[in-house]
Amino acid sequence: MNDAMSIPHLIINASGVVQAVMLLLLLGSLLSWVVIFQRTFVMRRARNAHRRFEDRFWSGVDLNELYRETPSEQETLGAEHIFRAGFREFNRLLPKTRSPQAILDGVQRSMRVAWSREEDRLNLHLVFLATVASSSPYIGLFGTVWGIMGSFQSLSMAQQATLATVAPWIAEALIATAMGLFAAIPAVIFYNRLSAESSRLLGKYEDFAEEFHSILHRNLQGRGDAAAG
Amino acid sequence: MARHQRRVGYGLPLLLAIALHLGILVISVIRFPAAEQEPPNRSIVQATLVSTETATDRAQRAEEAKSAAQAAKQAEEEAARQQAEEEARQAERERQAQQAEKQAAEAEAREAARQVAEQASEEAERRAAEAEREAERQRQAEEEARRQREAEEQRQREAEEQRQREAEVQRQREAEEQRQREAEEQRQREAEEQRQREAEEQRQREAEEQRQREAEEQRQREAEEQRQREAEEQRQREAEAERQRQAEEQRQREAEAERQRQAEEQRRREAEAERQRQAEEQRRREEAASRAAEAAQQGLDQAIAGESESVANSAQAEEAANGFINLVRQAVEQAWAIPPNVTGNATAEIRVRLGPSGELFAASIGRSSGDSAFDRSALQAVRAAAPFAELRELPSSVQRQYREFNLRFKPGDIR
Repeated sequence: MNDAMSIPHLIINASGVVQAVMLLLLLGSLLSWVVIFQRTFVMRRARNAHRRFEDRFWSGVDLNELYRETPSEQETLGAEHIFRAGFREFNRLLPKTRSPQAILDGVQRSMRVAWSREEDRLNLHLVFLATVASSSPYIGLFGTVWGIMGSFQSLSMAQQATLATVAPWIAEALIATAMGLFAAIPAVIFYNRLSAESSRLLGKYEDFAEEFHSILHRNLQGRGDAAAG
Repeated sequence: MARHQRRVGYGLPLLLAIALHLGILVISVIRFPAAEQEPPNRSIVQATLVSTETATDRAQRAEEAKSAAQAAKQAEEEAARQQAEEEARQAERERQAQQAEKQAAEAEAREAARQVAEQASEEAERRAAEAEREAERQRQAEEEARRQREAEEQRQREAEEQRQREAEVQRQREAEEQRQREAEEQRQREAEEQRQREAEEQRQREAEEQRQREAEEQRQREAEEQRQREAEEQRQREAEAERQRQAEEQRQREAEAERQRQAEEQRRREAEAERQRQAEEQRRREEAASRAAEAAQQGLDQAIAGESESVANSAQAEEAANGFINLVRQAVEQAWAIPPNVTGNATAEIRVRLGPSGELFAASIGRSSGDSAFDRSALQAVRAAAPFAELRELPSSVQRQYREFNLRFKPGDIR
């Protein structure tokens, strides 16, 4: 293949619409990769943070101490966020009501809100990845169809139809499809992987919330018994 | 703690994504120039007519052919003449042979007659002796003798007749020979007369020439004499004038200056006249020269005009042919699919023969490039590009010239 048929040369020589499609696809590919990298980092950190927090939580430390370790103005993430939301609600409700059911209901509600926030945080931009993954093949296909239309138009002007007159057009048209697939394939793969990881993390958060809820419930039962006794 | 720096920014992922794309781009750019070592796919066909002949060349060839035909005709005529002569000679020989045969037959007949006569006489003598000896059978003998005599007479008569016939034949032959001889003599005489006439003419011509020469000489001599006489007269006149002038000088020394002046004037005038005459002669000579030059120029112009006309004709034909060649080249070029792995300087020559309406009669490899795949691709290109219907648009004079040509295939980069 000579220089005339190299990919950069073909891209430069393509028609305007095809060039716009290629630019769009390049942008989508770039952004999807940004999302992929960022989400990967986020997921890894969330996973590490969750492991660390669980180790700490189940190390037998006093919950009040654990709560006080982190300043309240600092934003926390993941399971810690859920723990802090639930424990803060528990501490706020404990002096106001004597009904353990009401306290547990409030704690559960606040923990559900925190979990929902965590879910939102983890799934951020994954929708963009899904969009790129599903739409970029079509965009690339559009560019290809447009380029082939142009090639046939030029073919109608040519005296004799040979492969040499059509080949550059088709090559540059097919580059659009290639770029669409180039953007879509990693997006699909990483979307599946990241969303799986996110749901696994969210499942872990849910498990933690249930466990914490049961701990608080045990505590309240003991206190209720003590108050009654 | 790690928990305090949990927020993940977008800077690092962006950098990473850009780096990834740049890496892919660089890989694609670097790998493709590496693959550039493959031969270029698109190439040009250098279709060159190799077997074109110029018009003048054709004319020359036609002339050559004509002269060859003439020579052949002459040779044929000569052969025919020789054959006729030979035939005539043979006929004569045959005639001579016949004559000899006839003569031989005659001689034989004569001899036979003589022998017969001798034998008869001998027999008669013998019989007479027998008759004398045999008196008893005299009558019989007489009768026999008479019969014999009669037979002899008969034989003699026959012989005579034979002789007469022979003599007649002889006479006829002689007459014929006489006639032939006369004809020959006549011919000789005529030839002689011819020769005499020619000689006479020659002599007359020579005499005339002689006379002319003499007359010319005479004229020259007369002219010379005239000139000499004039010169002498002139000289005498000049001498007289000199003498007179001297006398005058002696006599009139005072008027010398005047006379000298007059003489000078006279001389000047004469010189002037002389100069004028010379100038006139010069002019006349120049005019003649210019006329000759003009005539030569006209001849040259005509020659140039003819030449330029022929050149224009050939140029027109060549133009049309060039258009045709371009069309053929374009068609073949478009139909040509070069096989991969062809070296840049491979050259194949395809000999193409076309029908009168441009259809392909035959395409063969004139000079192989050494690469059979390349040769085959060139052949296929020619076959795919046929028919070349543009041939019919050519002037008919050139058409035949382009019915057969060579195409040279050479791969090279178009861009």
